[in-house]
Amino acid sequence: MTLPIWWRTDPTQPVRIGPRELPGRIWTASGCFAYGLSGHDIRSLDVGSPYAGIGAVVTKTVTPQPRSGNPMPRLVELEHGAINSIGLENVGHAEFVEAVLPALEERGVPTVVSLAATRPDEFGPMCERLAEVGRGFVHWHGVELNLSCPNVAEGGHDFGSSPATVAECVAAARPHLPDRLLIAKLTPNVAQIAPLAAAAAEAGCDAIAAINTVLGLDIDLETGQPVLPRRFGGYSGPAIRPIALAKCDEIIRQVGVPVIGIGGIETADDALRFFALGCAAVQVGTAQMRDPFAAARMAAALRPDAATT
Amino acid sequence: MGPVTPTPWDLTGRVTANEPVSTGLLRLDVALPRTVGFRPGQFAMLNLTGPGQLVFRRPFSIFAADGETMSFLYRVVGRGTALMAALREGDAVDCLGPLGRPFLRPDADTPPALVLAGGVGLPPLHAWAEAHKRPDDLICFGGRDGGDVPWSLLDDRWHVSVDRADGVPPGRQAHEGLVTGLATELLAAYDGPRLVLACGPTPLLRAAAKLARDRGWPCEVSLEEHMGCGYGVCKGCVVPVLSDDLAGWRNATSCEEGPVFDAATLDWDRLGASHGGVA
Ligand SMILES: Cc1cc2nc3c(=O)[nH]c(=O)nc-3n(C[C@H](O)[C@H](O)[C@H](O)COP(=O)(O)OP(=O)(O)OC[C@H]3O[C@@H](n4cnc5c(N)ncnc54)[C@H](O)[C@@H]3O)c2cc1C
Ligand SMILES: Cc1cc2nc3c(=O)[nH]c(=O)nc-3n(C[C@H](O)[C@H](O)[C@H](O)COP(=O)(O)O)c2cc1C
Repeated sequence: MTLPIWWRTDPTQPVRIGPRELPGRIWTASGCFAYGLSGHDIRSLDVGSPYAGIGAVVTKTVTPQPRSGNPMPRLVELEHGAINSIGLENVGHAEFVEAVLPALEERGVPTVVSLAATRPDEFGPMCERLAEVGRGFVHWHGVELNLSCPNVAEGGHDFGSSPATVAECVAAARPHLPDRLLIAKLTPNVAQIAPLAAAAAEAGCDAIAAINTVLGLDIDLETGQPVLPRRFGGYSGPAIRPIALAKCDEIIRQVGVPVIGIGGIETADDALRFFALGCAAVQVGTAQMRDPFAAARMAAALRPDAATT
Repeated sequence: MGPVTPTPWDLTGRVTANEPVSTGLLRLDVALPRTVGFRPGQFAMLNLTGPGQLVFRRPFSIFAADGETMSFLYRVVGRGTALMAALREGDAVDCLGPLGRPFLRPDADTPPALVLAGGVGLPPLHAWAEAHKRPDDLICFGGRDGGDVPWSLLDDRWHVSVDRADGVPPGRQAHEGLVTGLATELLAAYDGPRLVLACGPTPLLRAAAKLARDRGWPCEVSLEEHMGCGYGVCKGCVVPVLSDDLAGWRNATSCEEGPVFDAATLDWDRLGASHGGVA
């Protein structure tokens, strides 16, 4: 692949976002690479390890209590993407902080911890405890607030679509993370995303991650029923890339906050489209599930010297 | 979890053969750029290469690995396997494996096995039977009819059952009925405890688990849950296993904690209708 002449950035070089310097600009997206402890043993002839050159692993979203997730089937492939309704299955905050975070530090995995809650004030204690246990950790870079999961029913409303609630969540987390990166991950399922990003930035977050999955539903023609037991789920993969680019563009042009682009990024070319808009970093989701080396290969392909070597 | 399993590799291979071995089963041979080991019961995630590939790879049990060639047996059931059937010699295939927890490796204390393979459940158990040629094992395969049975792959250690007897070639024998019926007949003739190993449709797995449970025998089953990633990151292929948790059960990923499970640890009641569990 030949790289365009405007691309001169090595995405495997450190990048400063907010108060942190992260080792690169190609990250893996929450829920698509577990906690960053899987796949270490898998090898390839080209890049070697799935973790080679990766800027950060954003962990599976962690909630205050453990969750066993939604009923099966939870993941249905469509022609240009997939709909999932995993339902934030995770080990819970206590177990994550005690067992997983130290293991990530020990392995040297650059980590951003994704958190979700059902009330804004729950983010405070979760971040406080993370900061306590993670004090002195060099590979734990910060927190991504998942304000946008379509697959949890509690509360009965999508609280990530109200600017006031988004601000409350960021404000609850910020004081506990003075020297860590704080990211708000937003939903695309709103008419305008910029007001949400502006509210998050004003409340003190360092960057916006966009987008989470697009609400979707598919029908099994044989039964006439939705393919997922909960009817709708989150649509991801190449089909949502133009939607993600439009949402990132809206935020970048209307709000002066660093943006981390997510949505349908499968190849180095796809990542370049987000960088062309001015994204500080990108995350690879669905493609990382198909290919443990997706992010690592992208990072290698986007090094300015890659074309010549 | 027993001895260490071989290192998984993500490799692009080339098709060297893709041909029917029975009316319902095809065999795919892929030449990989390096040797990759496996233990029977482990699987690989396959996909086409480049544009046009599937959003997710598809899991297939490893039938054999001979030098750099990895072999699979498969049935066409949907879009992915139809694309697979259209692959020609020389076409590229993405192959990630070996993955997952294999079948138990027998030692001197392991009782003789009762192997129950149904349809496309054949490859992992065929590999197991090839790896451990123990004379007292009872090895059974169940197919739809005589034509569905890949006779050329089954040596005379194999006992065969068919739902319908038509198409059984001259000189070969097949029990008419379910493979569990065949097993019950065989067990009546051979005494003593057995290790039951099963792979195939869920009703077969349930029957195998019950047969073992009723007799207090150990049993391992391989589940063929639909998968997203195949390497433990997406939680799209979970199955309920019994646990000491308050709830009494928890989700296990069938790609990482399985696909082979100790049947006694599975929560069979919860492994409900969505898993084809009608029997
Ligand atoms: C560990 C393991 C080993 C396997 N080994 C073999 C093997 O050796 N040989 C072999 O032939 N097959 C094997 N399989 C099954 C094989 O993976 C599937 O047949 C294959 O993925 C089907 O792909 P497809 O695109 O052709 O079908 P698809 O179009 O994906 O689906 C086929 C059928 O399954 C249904 N389906 C699709 N998604 C789901 C879902 N999420 N939940 C429930 N039903 C769904 C569809 O409606 C359709 O009826 C194995 C599976 C596993 C998990
Ligand atoms: C199976 C699956 C699980 C996901 N789980 C989470 C999650 O726990 N938290 C979160 O913030 N996003 C989650 N996502 C959304 C992704 O992080 C990402 O925002 C989205 O899939 C779009 O990117 P993609 O098209 O590259 O997949 C999940 C996506 C998928 C496909």
